Amino acid sequence: MEMAGFPILTAILSTTILGLLIIIFIPPEKTKLIKQVSLASATVGLVLCIWLYYAYDHQKGGLQFVERILWVKSLGIYWFNGVDGINLPMMLLTSIVLFTAIWTMWELENRVKEFFALIFLLVAGVYGVFMSMDLFWIFVWYDVSLFPMYPLIAIWGGTRKEYGAMKLTLYLLAGSALILPAIIYLWVAGGAHTFDLFELQRIGFSAFDQKMTFIMLYLGFGILAAVWPFHTWSPVGHVAAPTAVSMIHAGVLMKLGAYGILRIGMTLCPAGAQYWSSLMALLACIGIVYGALVGLAQTDLKYVIGYSSVSHMGVVGLGLATMSVNGINGAVFQMFAHGVMTALFFSSVGYIYDRTHTKIIPELGGLSKTMPIASSFFIVAALAGIGVPLMASFWAELLVFIAAVKVFPVGGIAALVGLIISALFMLRVVQRTFYGEKNPKWEHIPDVSGFLAVPRVILMSIILFFGMFPKIMLDVIQSTVIPFVNRF
Amino acid sequence: MTDFMLFLPELFFILGAIVFFIFSLRKKADPAAYHKWAVVIGAVGLLVTVAASRQGGMLFFDCYRVDLFSQVFKVLLALGTIWVIFSSGELKGIDPRQHAEYYFLIFVCTLAMMMLVSSVELLTIYVSIELSSYSLYLLVPMRRKADEFVETGIKYFMVGVTASGLMLFGISLLFGMAHTTYIPQLIQTLPGIISQPATIIGLILALSGFFFKLALFPFHIWAPDVYQGSANQVTTYIATASKMAAAAMIIRFTGLSAGASPGMIKLLIVLSILSMTFGNLVALIQKDIKRLLAYSSIAHAGYMLIGILALSDRGYASAIYYAAAYLVMNYSVFMVIMKLADDGHNLQIKELAGLHKRSPLLALTLMLGLFGLAGIPPTAGFMGKFLVFAAALEKGYLFLVIIGMINATISLYYYLIVIKAAYLLKPVNELPAVQVDFWTRCMCVVLVVMTIYLGVFPDQFVLLTEAAAKTLF
Repeated sequence: MEMAGFPILTAILSTTILGLLIIIFIPPEKTKLIKQVSLASATVGLVLCIWLYYAYDHQKGGLQFVERILWVKSLGIYWFNGVDGINLPMMLLTSIVLFTAIWTMWELENRVKEFFALIFLLVAGVYGVFMSMDLFWIFVWYDVSLFPMYPLIAIWGGTRKEYGAMKLTLYLLAGSALILPAIIYLWVAGGAHTFDLFELQRIGFSAFDQKMTFIMLYLGFGILAAVWPFHTWSPVGHVAAPTAVSMIHAGVLMKLGAYGILRIGMTLCPAGAQYWSSLMALLACIGIVYGALVGLAQTDLKYVIGYSSVSHMGVVGLGLATMSVNGINGAVFQMFAHGVMTALFFSSVGYIYDRTHTKIIPELGGLSKTMPIASSFFIVAALAGIGVPLMASFWAELLVFIAAVKVFPVGGIAALVGLIISALFMLRVVQRTFYGEKNPKWEHIPDVSGFLAVPRVILMSIILFFGMFPKIMLDVIQSTVIPFVNRF
Repeated sequence: MTDFMLFLPELFFILGAIVFFIFSLRKKADPAAYHKWAVVIGAVGLLVTVAASRQGGMLFFDCYRVDLFSQVFKVLLALGTIWVIFSSGELKGIDPRQHAEYYFLIFVCTLAMMMLVSSVELLTIYVSIELSSYSLYLLVPMRRKADEFVETGIKYFMVGVTASGLMLFGISLLFGMAHTTYIPQLIQTLPGIISQPATIIGLILALSGFFFKLALFPFHIWAPDVYQGSANQVTTYIATASKMAAAAMIIRFTGLSAGASPGMIKLLIVLSILSMTFGNLVALIQKDIKRLLAYSSIAHAGYMLIGILALSDRGYASAIYYAAAYLVMNYSVFMVIMKLADDGHNLQIKELAGLHKRSPLLALTLMLGLFGLAGIPPTAGFMGKFLVFAAALEKGYLFLVIIGMINATISLYYYLIVIKAAYLLKPVNELPAVQVDFWTRCMCVVLVVMTIYLGVFPDQFVLLTEAAAKTLF
């Protein structure tokens, strides 16, 4: 049993579980109180995460704030949490997106209590996956974060919500049908006495075991990371989901997939990852190009963002596939940058949709004249999506492509072309939605109020902040990635 | 005197049966009073069983073994019985004049199954299994308007006796080969003769009797009709308590072939895969919730078998854990069904519409029970599946585990449909809120807490099941 001082990670996790429990005991009519409690517990989580980020010593690197207790003795399951340079940005991202998502949903009136309770359950799972260093708990939290998606989309969703919810749930749980056997396989191969990630890493596995489990983990987690051709749940799910759920889902949940590949797959099966890396790169490049091309043809704002997410997650996959310092640095940074960016995307589309009740691009048009502030949020997100310098994702994509062109020249260049296409379609969407002919139907709509602008401004400033000072994040990421890559 | 103490739980249930036998002789029936009596007797029975749970010893010329394994299952049986009795307060599915007989048969059946899990001699096993089967043959057609469901009773009886016949034939073959009916002696002689076809056929036929009870494919055909045709309470009893006894016996019997016969293990693997896949696929299209649960029980029999066929201590332990988790989750679902169909009709899935408004607590209990059955963490059902799969993978059955996981995903679809009905569908016409009395509320909370607790803090229970599995042989 090791406990280094105050268990801050468990504290962050318990902000969500406490929030959930408190909400359960508030009568459903008191919607205002429920929202206040939700925002308060999300704020505590955010403050703790920012403090955690600040207190992490990146000179020293490695795993810090470790909590480790034996949980189930006969199987060797540990309550083992810790942060390093890979999951620390993810924790920060989760707390930011949760905080802004709850604020964005301030106007929700339908079944408020259940909505926020489920959101907290979902985010508890997300925090859990990011902080756990025990395979069993990673899987448990992973599943905990998946199943609230079903009611969240099916009750509060929009377009084709029941279809989208069922498709998403079954796809993602089909993924876990591969992950669980892989995890238990590793446990057995490691002597069937520990689920501790680092102990298993020390034990090491034969090349055959690594190849076999890596592909299972890759396909299983890859479904959640929207790896082509398993991405089809993602645009449908995003379109169907309510705003906050899209934000959390595209912003954080999809990162769980890429994180799982990196944390479990590449940590425990480096040889397996090496063996399958060209497949990973191929699928990632197809995803980047395919997402961009399909995005070109969409007329629904949310579908556009959905397909651009497929494309951007492809960048993450490509970064991981290079298995180099730059590539993985870029991939982790891209996970963070893309998370904040899509949260801003969905948040601004959510505002427009709430007012106009449409997200079909031809029906909108000229919005920048009627609601300039709301439009500016979307435009900033679109610029970030294109990868304009001074935006966080610029650095991330730059790093990935530098690495990719070196390791997979053809794929890297194809991916670059994909990126240009995606720039094209983003600009086209911006032009047709916010400029051009003004649609007189929307003239009476008020612009974003100061109160509702706050979460969007926060997201926007984070994109700009890390775009201007990428070193603050890259130092942290690098402190873990360099020793990580040296093990290959 | 010590012998008497060892047999105490069984004696207590005999006493309960006698009390209701006397009640059944009275001319005027008093269902409310019977229910109170039954609850008290059942609750004390559970306490007695728990108190006796750490005993160990042999009885009746070594035919009867009391060890941790049998006592754990006896506690589960007593728990299932008291839960069913608890929910029998509104026993509208059965004529009030027959309530005394109903309780009498429940107690006899529990007694028989308690004897079953302790028996280590083939004929004792046979006698116990027949005693429990005959109680159920009588309970199933006891439903009101029995003429509508008369097919159920006959079908159950016919299939049941056929299975008994097969089992008896199997036992006779085993006796012929091994010259003994004592299981401890069989364990010693069997490895030498396991390659003989007659032994394998004997073992498989003997097992088929238990497979019938557990409703494992291809011995499942009675399950959907019986689940649908019996009174809700009787269905609950069959689906919870009686499954425990079957699981216990399969664990004990499969262990006989431990590590000796690869053909036998292959057969069990095939049965397990067929059972899971068939149960889940057919459950997808069900409209009647009891039929749906019947097919899901066929699938769960397959999952349980995965743990058992690992033929290791960890495997048996995982199967025990799975059985216990299954008892809790399945009862959660059935309790909600019994509460909603309090006039005793067969509940359709669409009738659940709007349940979350009519009674949030029942809806929550139902949802957690179903998530548990689907194997979603952090419920007991997930831990059960996890342990079962871990045991199987330890023996290298990777594909079996992947098929099991794919099946779990398929099963999620139909569980989600039920949850969707309870939480999303708008009822056609507004129904009044469900009146949930204090005790039912408590029971809901207990079930919810148990489902989560067993899933999140499994340490003690895993140790207990492993200790129980060690006493097996």
